Amino acid sequence: MSTREQNDRIALLQGTLDLLILKTLMWGPCHGQGIARAIQRQSEEVLFVDHGSLYVALQRLEERKWIRAKWGVSENNRKARFYSLTEKGREQVTEKTAEWRRLSRAMGLIVDAAGPQGEEA
Amino acid sequence: MWGRKRSDADFAEEIKAHLELEAEELRREGVNAEEAQWKARQAFGNVARAQERFHLMGRWVRLEKLWRDVRFGMRSLAQSPGFTVTAVLTLALGVGANTAVFSVMNAVLLRSLPVADAERVVYLRTSGAPRGTGTIDSNQTFSYPVYDELRRQSKGLAAVMAYVPLSASKVGVRIGSQPEEAEGDMVSGSYFSGLGVKLPLGRGLTEEDEQTHGAVAVLSYNYWTRRFARDPHVLGQTLYVNGVGITIVGVAGEGFEGTEPGGSTDFWIPLQSRAELNAWGSPLEDGKAYLANPTWWCLRLVARLAPGVTRARALAQVQPVFQRAAYVGLGKPTAGERAPVLSFAEAKNLPGFDERYGKPLRILMAMVGLVLVIALANVVMLLLARNANRQREFALRQALGAGRGELFRQLLTESALLVGAGGLLAWGFALLATRLLANWAQIESTLAPDGRVLLFTFAMMLAASVLLGVAPLRVALASGAEQALRTSAASAHASAGKSRTGRVLVALQMALCVVVLVGAGLLVQTLENLRNLPLGMRVEGLVVFGVKPEIKSVPQGVAFYVNLMSKLRALPGVESVTVMIERIGSGWSDNSDMQVDGKLPDVADGGSRTVRSNVAGPDFFTTLGIPVLAGRDFKDSDTATSPHVGIINEEFARRFLPNRNPLGHVIGSDDGRYQMTVVGVVKNHKYRSIDEAPIPMAWYEYAQIPVIGVMQVEMRVAGPPLAILPAAQKVVQQLDPNLPLIRPITQRAQYDTTISGQILFARLAGFFGVLAVVLVATGLYGTLAYHVNLRTAEIGVRMAVGAGRGQVVWMILRQSLVLTLIGTAVGVPLALLVGRALSASLYGVTALDAISYAGAVVLVGGIALLASGIPASRAARVDPLRALRVE
Repeated sequence: MSTREQNDRIALLQGTLDLLILKTLMWGPCHGQGIARAIQRQSEEVLFVDHGSLYVALQRLEERKWIRAKWGVSENNRKARFYSLTEKGREQVTEKTAEWRRLSRAMGLIVDAAGPQGEEA
Repeated sequence: MWGRKRSDADFAEEIKAHLELEAEELRREGVNAEEAQWKARQAFGNVARAQERFHLMGRWVRLEKLWRDVRFGMRSLAQSPGFTVTAVLTLALGVGANTAVFSVMNAVLLRSLPVADAERVVYLRTSGAPRGTGTIDSNQTFSYPVYDELRRQSKGLAAVMAYVPLSASKVGVRIGSQPEEAEGDMVSGSYFSGLGVKLPLGRGLTEEDEQTHGAVAVLSYNYWTRRFARDPHVLGQTLYVNGVGITIVGVAGEGFEGTEPGGSTDFWIPLQSRAELNAWGSPLEDGKAYLANPTWWCLRLVARLAPGVTRARALAQVQPVFQRAAYVGLGKPTAGERAPVLSFAEAKNLPGFDERYGKPLRILMAMVGLVLVIALANVVMLLLARNANRQREFALRQALGAGRGELFRQLLTESALLVGAGGLLAWGFALLATRLLANWAQIESTLAPDGRVLLFTFAMMLAASVLLGVAPLRVALASGAEQALRTSAASAHASAGKSRTGRVLVALQMALCVVVLVGAGLLVQTLENLRNLPLGMRVEGLVVFGVKPEIKSVPQGVAFYVNLMSKLRALPGVESVTVMIERIGSGWSDNSDMQVDGKLPDVADGGSRTVRSNVAGPDFFTTLGIPVLAGRDFKDSDTATSPHVGIINEEFARRFLPNRNPLGHVIGSDDGRYQMTVVGVVKNHKYRSIDEAPIPMAWYEYAQIPVIGVMQVEMRVAGPPLAILPAAQKVVQQLDPNLPLIRPITQRAQYDTTISGQILFARLAGFFGVLAVVLVATGLYGTLAYHVNLRTAEIGVRMAVGAGRGQVVWMILRQSLVLTLIGTAVGVPLALLVGRALSASLYGVTALDAISYAGAVVLVGGIALLASGIPASRAARVDPLRALRVE
């Protein structure tokens, strides 16, 4: 059934960044710039987050009520919008993490498999 | 998801904060201030684009979802074209019929005058006219002095406008050389300005035009379009009205068709005082035109309320003025006479139509409402059947995590698509139907749907799509995710229930069908009765038309008609020719009291003394084919100088001259000024309309009375009556090139106009009856065929264990017979209610007419039998082995 398939595909692409954001917020409330920095730092600078996409993703998560936001003051006394996980968001972290593990294992199985079939494929 | 709480500005603020935080962090890492800012910005990428993405996101998601739903809906409808076409057509018929009837109702009963601030405009009505006056309509017409006083002394009214037609039907006009006819009104100078009618071309009429009785005319937009092809050079051209030259000075705004009840006025001229242009085309009475005659209440009035004055206050202010004005020129009210009371009526576009068409239209509206319910029930059943087939799809989707909301949205989209397509078709259908209806009803103003009708249709469609979306939802949800696990389509259906809803709907449809059919049966029989009603004359072969010659004196007028009749009689194919003042079968009659033997007759039991009178020419009764029971017909030898003769009907003799030989008695007008001797008694016949009861009648001889004017010429011809008209036109034009034939029509058709309401009513009811039957038949067939299909396996099992074909057929038939029984059991009492509501519109049938009821029940039963017969016989042919294999 086609609607569903489209959803899945989009969810997968978005899911990656979503998971990263959610995971970062597990450590406590944080503003957008902080999240971007944290992702870069934690991935040992491998993952670079496009800031524009980040904010769109944040917005989307907020609309899904996985995270909530409010304006506050940063550690160095600047105004910033702080995001934190909701109950729903916490559940999603568990779910998305499991999903990701399945996916990365499956990817790993294929990518790591040696042999002619792998090359042909 | 549907609401957005966050503003774009807030988002911009967040990005600004981000850039500052980033720059500060970079500075802490040792980058200098300027470079830090630049780097932060670079790292972020395109800020404007991020903002744009944020802005679009909310909207876009929703739009895309909608588009996806629509596309998906269209795809899934395209997969079952049979279903889609049937559903769309059914909806189109149901909605279209309602739109059409509603747009007629809207045009006839609801629409206001197309003038500025129509709610401030009122028609003036009176409880009656003072004694000693003559009226056109005792509640709607006023004398000139009343109009004059009201416009002078009414502070509550900003303007009072008077209007009166130049003829009771159409008036002769000439533009080039060819005479023709048109509808013309004389109006006060304030008419256009007071009503607030736009004048796209030229000017309106002025107070000065009224005072000087100016020879100027304003054309209606319609007439300008029809007759002058919207030629802008029409201004300044001359229009000859009854031979009087009148200059065209303006064209009124589109849509404005005047204020005449039921008419569509072609042109307006200021109030005139000359004899050729007297009100209603009447000859002068004692040498006085309507303006100088306070006893003739012939003008209609319409007024605009003064700014800021309520209707009640305006009326309170005008009332005393009116009650004084009513007696201007009449002298003191007679003892015990109650002064007439003025009232205001809403400025409807078609005043007076409510009485004639109001009730039939409301009943028709109810009927098409039922048809719509039947149509919707059909579509619901189709959807139920279709969605039952899709239960596995729904179940699968739910198993995959689709929410109920999503399923609902999808069903709603599908039904909206169906209804949308049906609605579009319906609109086209309604446009066509209203044009036909206007023709049938002989309503000249437009019945086409307008904005209000569009709104109505839209509301209907909205309700339909919600209903059609919700109805199948229950079935869809009832399936639940676990159904996906069942592999057999048949078993899935079985547990979803054998659709009790479907059976309830079929029974409901049959009940409604019975109601519609009984209604249609009663009305069609009424029409048949009316049409077959003996008129008391040989109406076939008769043709009638009006002539309005220029008349300088009574003898000259009589000579004109003598000459005309003799010329017409000489035409080949003409059997006889006569004239009369009042056209028979036109709905008009001249009613008054008459003296018998020098005094007003005593009537037993306080019965009415009213006599209908007409003025007729030689061979009148011979031409019409009305038997003369005693005495003779009028003859050419009855002239102004011979003794005055009159003819009466049976009813006159029975009521006023009982048990006596009426011949030789003297009868006359109520004031005794005109006397005549009865020389003939004729059989009662229909005079004014088809559905009237006999009433006393008397005929004056046209050459002997002191006035003469427009006459209706009646001709009896061999062959098709209308074929004589060109020859007759030539004869008339030889006498006067200005004269058109006014409203030429066969006498049969003339009589039919008096039942045009009933004809329209019956035809429509018949049509809707057929529509209901067709819908019910398809619905029933569809449902039963579907059920038989579902039960194929069951039938196979039954046959495998020894059930005979007859038993299988009976099993299927029994189901529909039970439904029919329930349907009629509910329908007949409902129909009784409808019959009672209709009873005022019936003629010659009672509301309990057995034929209509039996017919409806038999018809519905027959349809049920037929619609279930085909599926039943198909069921009987089921091959048990194959049926079982399916399972």
